[in-house]
Amino acid sequence: MLTSVRPTHILARITAALLGGYGFTWGCAALSVSGMTAFGMSYEQAHTATMLVAFLIFLCAFLWSFVDTNIVRVWSVLAGGGALMTGLAWWLQRLLIG
Amino acid sequence: MFANFRLSMTWLHTWFGLVLGYVLMACFFFGALSVFDREIDRWAIPDTRFPAQPMPSFDTVLKPIFEKLRAHPDDMEATAERVIGPLPHPDTMPMSSLYAYTTHRDPLLGIGGEFDIPNRPKDPSDDHLHVHGYATIDPRTGAILSDDHLKIGSEFFYPLHYSLHFHWLDLGYWIVGLAAMIMLVALASGVIMHRKLFRELFTFRPNKSTQRSVLDLHNLTGVVALPFHFFFALTGLIIFSSIYLPLSETMLKPLAQRHEILEAERTGLPHEPAGVTAPLASVDAMVLEAKRRWDVRGMPGEVGYLYIDHLGDKNSHVSVFRAGSDQIATVGQGVHFEAATGRVIREDPPPNAVTAVNDYLAGLHLQQFRHWLLRWLYVLGGLAGCACIATGFIFFVEKRKRQHAKVGDGGARIVDALAVTTVTGMVIATSSILIANRLLTTDLPMRGDWEERVFWCAWIVALLHALWRTTPVLRARIAPAWREQCWAIALLAVTAVLLNWITTGDHLVATISQRYWPVAGLDLSLLVTAVIAIAAARSLGRRERAGVGSANGNDDSDMETAHA
Repeated sequence: MLTSVRPTHILARITAALLGGYGFTWGCAALSVSGMTAFGMSYEQAHTATMLVAFLIFLCAFLWSFVDTNIVRVWSVLAGGGALMTGLAWWLQRLLIG
Repeated sequence: MFANFRLSMTWLHTWFGLVLGYVLMACFFFGALSVFDREIDRWAIPDTRFPAQPMPSFDTVLKPIFEKLRAHPDDMEATAERVIGPLPHPDTMPMSSLYAYTTHRDPLLGIGGEFDIPNRPKDPSDDHLHVHGYATIDPRTGAILSDDHLKIGSEFFYPLHYSLHFHWLDLGYWIVGLAAMIMLVALASGVIMHRKLFRELFTFRPNKSTQRSVLDLHNLTGVVALPFHFFFALTGLIIFSSIYLPLSETMLKPLAQRHEILEAERTGLPHEPAGVTAPLASVDAMVLEAKRRWDVRGMPGEVGYLYIDHLGDKNSHVSVFRAGSDQIATVGQGVHFEAATGRVIREDPPPNAVTAVNDYLAGLHLQQFRHWLLRWLYVLGGLAGCACIATGFIFFVEKRKRQHAKVGDGGARIVDALAVTTVTGMVIATSSILIANRLLTTDLPMRGDWEERVFWCAWIVALLHALWRTTPVLRARIAPAWREQCWAIALLAVTAVLLNWITTGDHLVATISQRYWPVAGLDLSLLVTAVIAIAAARSLGRRERAGVGSANGNDDSDMETAHA
């Protein structure tokens, strides 16, 4: 069963898990920090709280990218979601800094 | 891609575990040794075998030393690469901040400072325009310890477990971070695949009991210590989150900088110097006042961390933090003073929930508190992690070596050779640096660098030996490399103990009767390592003689090499 796995598929999964997962985690963390800051929490607290859960989010994203049967969905959620959240976080920061 | 969920988890566990397992072995093993990093330092630097000292007087002891402290040549070199134009002479650089740090286990005191430079950075966003100076001093005399003395525990083993001493592009940190993520992945996927795999075990045939005992030990050490492994991998990532997710340094820098300014306003601790010179009042008086305030709060204690910012400026402030010997968080209960007058600016309130949780998790990982039983449990937990990873390698090899032998595939042999290198080879390298430490002459320039070279060379020799002596794996036999390196460990460990005796006179009878545990503890640990290595070597020898496919049920002792 395992020998039938094609190298390109494996490569797509591994890069999705590592790079996609990282991008998604980055976006999540950035949005979480700027979001909580926007809601009045101090930046330091928002940052600390985010870092406590960020790597667990990475873990879930990582595992999911190997579990989901549809690699296109994996890539679009991780990369697309990551980019979207990063953009939102950037926009929120601009609002906050003024 | 995979037929089902469980298979995808098995694939993840097997292949990611295999590739990053070698790094994880080093993280767990040297992390376990770091629990006793200061004690290993005492063994390695015999001149420092004296009891732990409290923070000395700033006014009489530290102040004259800080006046002598200059930017460190290593950091001068590193900074010169980041800035435009030549750096000024170290004697002319003004010191802008300083610190001193100690714990209940430190006879020596670590001090350091930042020196301002006029140079512009090559990268405009680089706002760290300081050169660092640092030194280790004997607080009884104020003498500065020579840089040539390598603190093998806290300067070599400890950074090895999170940076691999591979500093180019911070790559060592990133590899360790990836390995920590994979540890989390391996634990999660291991739990998911565990039940079914366990059932599959009973259907394995020719070498049933070898494989099973290896897998049993793999599961046992993985599952029993699962919270421990998960905790250390996760908190390791959290502690270095500013490297792995540098939001405040990059994308969210504007928000982070605004916070710093707001925070300075809120706490009354000036963020910037005023540009007006001012003298420094008695720091000893400030320390006394801080201690008085800790007494009032019902938590008398010693100073763990002393920090002075904006030195010589009107806005300079002195922060005195209490050593966390009796609490999980490393330091805390800061009291802040105006440097020029000694007036209390602020006493830190109890931390908020988020900070408290973070301090607790980081503190539990860094364990600077006083609890010797827990300290030893940490070592056992770390070694259990090593045993878990090592048995994972061996299971990988055992499961495949017959199949590989049949089709002439060298994969199992390579994995076995690398496993030998990271299990027994790592202990050989560790014993070798201790031996080098006792054999090199004390006045050898750059002595520490030579000790490090011996460590890496010994590890490379272990790798070459492992590659050479694993050829029998190609015929599905046990590699003699394991047994031979176990004998090498036994020999080296005993040699290290004897050399400590010969070169310092501190033999075990003396150190135990004086209850000097830093040195007695390491000597005893080395002897226990030797005993385990001999037992493992003999057991392996019996099994090699018994030939291929032997299935003596009771062979757990082989795996004890992982404990060594």
